[in-house]
Amino acid sequence: MNFCGLTDSPASIVNEFERCRCGSVTRVGYGLCLSCLLRSGLCPEEPQTESFDAALAEIDVRDSEWRLGNYQILEEIGRGGMGVIYRARQRHSRRIVALKRILSYHSDSRDTLVRFQREAEAVASLDHPNILPIYEVGVSEDGLPFFSMKFAPGGSLLHGRKVFRDEPRQAVRLIAKVARAIEYANNEGILHRDLKPGNILLDGRGEPLVGDFGLAKWIDATSDLTRTMTVFGTPGYVAPEQVNGPAGNLTPAVDVYSLGAILFELLSGQPPFLGEHAIVVIHQAAEKPAPKLRSIVPRLDRDLETICARCLERDPAMRYRTAGDLAEDLERWLEDRPIIARPVLPPVRLWRWSRRNPKLAGSIAACLILAAVGLVEKVASSRLSAILQRVEIAQRSVAVTSFEDLDEISTTSNSARSMTSAFTAALTQAKGIQLSATPHQIAEDVDPWRTEDWKRIGESGNARMVLSGSVRRREGKQRVAIHLIETATGSVVSTWLQDGESDSDIAKALTTKISDVVADTKVTSGDAGAIVGRGDRKRDAIGETNNSLARSYCDRGKEFFLRYNLADLDRAIESFRKAVEIDSNYAVAYAMLGSACQARAQTDPTHDWLAEADAATAIALRIAPMLPEAHRARAGTLRRHGQLRASLDSFLTVYELEPAPWRSAALLGDTYEQVGRPDLALRWFEKASRRQTQPLFADNLGNAWTSLGDYDEAEKAYRTAIIFKPDLPVGLLGLSRLALFRGDYKGARKECEQAQAKYKDNPEVLEMAALIEFFSRHFPAAEKLYREAAAIDRAGGAEFAGSVRYLSAIGFIQELSGVHAKEGKALLEEARWLDEKELLSAPDNLRHLYSLAANYAAQGNGEAAAVCLDKAIAAGWIDYRSMMLDPRFDSIRDDEIFQNALGRLISKVQEMRQPRASATQPPTPTEITPTP
Amino acid sequence: MEGEARKALSDLCRIYWRPIFAFICRRGYSVPDAQDLTQDFFVMLLEGNLLSLADPGRGRFRSLLLKALNNFLIDKHDQAKTKKRGGGMQFVSWNDWMAEAPSQLSVPAREFENWPAERIFDLRWAATVAEEALRRLAEECESRGRRRMFAVLSKYLTVDRLDVSYANLSASLGVPETAVKRLLHQLRGRFRTLLREEVSQTVKSPSEIEGEIRYLCAALATSADRVE
Repeated sequence: MNFCGLTDSPASIVNEFERCRCGSVTRVGYGLCLSCLLRSGLCPEEPQTESFDAALAEIDVRDSEWRLGNYQILEEIGRGGMGVIYRARQRHSRRIVALKRILSYHSDSRDTLVRFQREAEAVASLDHPNILPIYEVGVSEDGLPFFSMKFAPGGSLLHGRKVFRDEPRQAVRLIAKVARAIEYANNEGILHRDLKPGNILLDGRGEPLVGDFGLAKWIDATSDLTRTMTVFGTPGYVAPEQVNGPAGNLTPAVDVYSLGAILFELLSGQPPFLGEHAIVVIHQAAEKPAPKLRSIVPRLDRDLETICARCLERDPAMRYRTAGDLAEDLERWLEDRPIIARPVLPPVRLWRWSRRNPKLAGSIAACLILAAVGLVEKVASSRLSAILQRVEIAQRSVAVTSFEDLDEISTTSNSARSMTSAFTAALTQAKGIQLSATPHQIAEDVDPWRTEDWKRIGESGNARMVLSGSVRRREGKQRVAIHLIETATGSVVSTWLQDGESDSDIAKALTTKISDVVADTKVTSGDAGAIVGRGDRKRDAIGETNNSLARSYCDRGKEFFLRYNLADLDRAIESFRKAVEIDSNYAVAYAMLGSACQARAQTDPTHDWLAEADAATAIALRIAPMLPEAHRARAGTLRRHGQLRASLDSFLTVYELEPAPWRSAALLGDTYEQVGRPDLALRWFEKASRRQTQPLFADNLGNAWTSLGDYDEAEKAYRTAIIFKPDLPVGLLGLSRLALFRGDYKGARKECEQAQAKYKDNPEVLEMAALIEFFSRHFPAAEKLYREAAAIDRAGGAEFAGSVRYLSAIGFIQELSGVHAKEGKALLEEARWLDEKELLSAPDNLRHLYSLAANYAAQGNGEAAAVCLDKAIAAGWIDYRSMMLDPRFDSIRDDEIFQNALGRLISKVQEMRQPRASATQPPTPTEITPTP
Repeated sequence: MEGEARKALSDLCRIYWRPIFAFICRRGYSVPDAQDLTQDFFVMLLEGNLLSLADPGRGRFRSLLLKALNNFLIDKHDQAKTKKRGGGMQFVSWNDWMAEAPSQLSVPAREFENWPAERIFDLRWAATVAEEALRRLAEECESRGRRRMFAVLSKYLTVDRLDVSYANLSASLGVPETAVKRLLHQLRGRFRTLLREEVSQTVKSPSEIEGEIRYLCAALATSADRVE
């Protein structure tokens, strides 16, 4: 702000000017030329025939129009849609105020006037430093209302907004204050409904003052638009639902939208939707998603873009719930803390259907994407210098934290303890390293993935570095992964993977490397006193590129990837392809390409996508074998191929390599659930959910509990999912399935119907509805529903709960009916072939093995069914409840082999439950007998 | 400092804070810092002996103030940055002063982009003088119940007589054209008087008024101005 002080309001810094006749370009009040004014002081004095007083007294030009109530109007300062605004003086107190006079308003009845006054008075009762106080509401002699309020010398944002173009922090600070004011007002029951730059005034110190609350609706503005559309609010800043819906449905989200639009404009110089006509603008805002902030100003922070986008969501439920939430995120951004608005999508089962409005199914891919895109948190660098000054950190000291056993998911298992001791011993003996006095034992509830925790551990152990590691068995050997973390910054300096036979060998080998790094790292005095190590740079550089063009393609690809719909996914793939074209060593881009192609394969199951995914992933791994993204891409493609067990190893590697692996934990949870280890799945999910404030994985936890047979916990989890994941049917469907397992068909149908009402056209819901009818043996109804499902995705069904392939169910029902036996047989054959095909590329896929078994049973081939069932169980199938309910197994239900298999499964599940058994759980899972 | 002199000085501060603030901002300080410094400067003025209005040989108030301000900023710069600000009484009431005497100075950005702080100071000083005179004229009209008249007629204070549409004004004010002519004439005369009075507050003797006005006129000259 170059000219502050020179002019009262930024509005007065002009680019266009009207030159005076005298040639000068500066003007003061009333449009007067400053030079002429001054020079008039040089003119000779002109003779006056009368005194000034006398002259004025003689002429009858009274001020009556310029007195309203107790106020003397001084001058006009603006005209708006509502009326005129004056600077005025309160006669008795001599206080200067702004006076707003409503020139035209809906005065069809006395009632209206009374209501207006009441509303104005309600607004007048608001008392907040950033809300423009209303002093008085009155009615002029001609019956028009007016109100007086604080005079804001800095003008409004309408004129002042251009100043913020180069000052994003100022803009954010301002909007955060406004948001807090709106929060306060909303809590008092008042929505603004017409937030716009013109309503945000600035006082003498530049503080924002929000005015004109909720009064827009009283004003019949003269434009045709408002008359015809009865839209209140200003196009460009008005939330779409204000246009479409009745006023009764408005929520604080409308103000959030407006705040987002204003922030968008301050940061980018233009409002999100532009148009020549208000109608055009309004329609655009209702139809299209808002543009991304960085598409206009690329250099702005990604977090700002996210915040704006969340405010500008068309669906009010997707925005920040309140202005206060928005204010908090803005304040977090100002403090360099991570914001909450990040698009986080939960892990749900992979799907193979496509919808009319092609949004990718919320799937485990989401976790793959998000983790891949690397939404890593920024370190709060402002605290660094404080820490450095406070804590005397010994240069070469290292604190060892307990190793984590990834097979047991425990830090207290034998394996974990053994490795921890081995490292402690090795480091004690190492030259140039001083082991922190007491090896820090992490309590179970401390989350070492958070930067603050690393710092705390380091500080309390007075150590400059913290060593964190994990161990697991892999291909007959021990695999160890360790991270060396700098206490002061909380950043990972180095990461190593090491395989070996004995704990002490591994520890010794890695200790040498650790010593080297510790010796090498130098202290530099940067702005924040950051300690930079050579290993630091090395770590950042893994798989990255020096080519800025390639880098921006990759970044662009990540942006598209995050948006999570088909069109943008294609754009993401394009961008990643370009990135690797430019730099053929860009491992990160290859890895992203692999993940993106793998996700693409979901809705387009042609072979090409997966082949490209495999190829890209292989290249990424070759170039950068320590790159977590590469392993994540590999894990994703393996899953896509159906090779779940193989994908486990890749996911575990990702977990080992990542500094803050909570998303990897979620992916591992889901994968373990898929391979029939819900007990381990639970532990991984619990790990992952420690990191999150909201129960993101509630439905996954529910699934795991269901598999283990703890229905009470499962129900709790699903109910949590209903609340916290309202955009997905997972909670209701989980409850539905639970009811099914409890033998309560009516209850199952009820939950399913609720889901149907809430989530129209959702194929998951359709599948559940079909399953209920099928298991309850209402075959005509079941057939109808399965046909519907098959119309959407002919090859579907095997991956859903219960693993009932659509064609298999239809075929079974038809054969049973006798009438269409031939067609039924054909369908069963087709179903069989579909499973066989899947098993070719993934022979240990338990779902397809089970599906095949059920299909064989449907075909009357008991032997084949039994064999497949055994294989399925060996591969990890544990859903014995579905086995018991599935009519397709009727032909072999009484066979010894079947009963045996059932019994084995029940014991297996019971075993998995044992370590977690508590007093409230029933000792055995409830047996269900299918009722016709 | 004696009571009367102090009052006079504090009135001057109330009127002439803008050039000081503008100067400090132009020197690169942030708005909050500039506000605090302006406040500190005034406090220093009022408490100190820096300025002695009674001394004839020392030059005009405007240039004295600028010198004092320069020195003040140099001193401030040398002082420890960690010195806590605020905590004292708020002398400058930004909101009130700006509400009472708002400024509508409007300048084309291009012209003044490269001006040094001293020239910005002078420009702002010139505008303040003129606006203060206008304000007093408005108040005089207001106290005589003629504020609206002032609002209507003030735009024509410097306009050539030939360009004034007396007919329109007559209709707008509801008085005959001859009355409009007389009023305008009166207003112009009164403004001139007030302007000279204002200038006289900051110079030592009436003989310096013209010189000061000329100086201020020259201060406005920009490269964009055509010389008439």
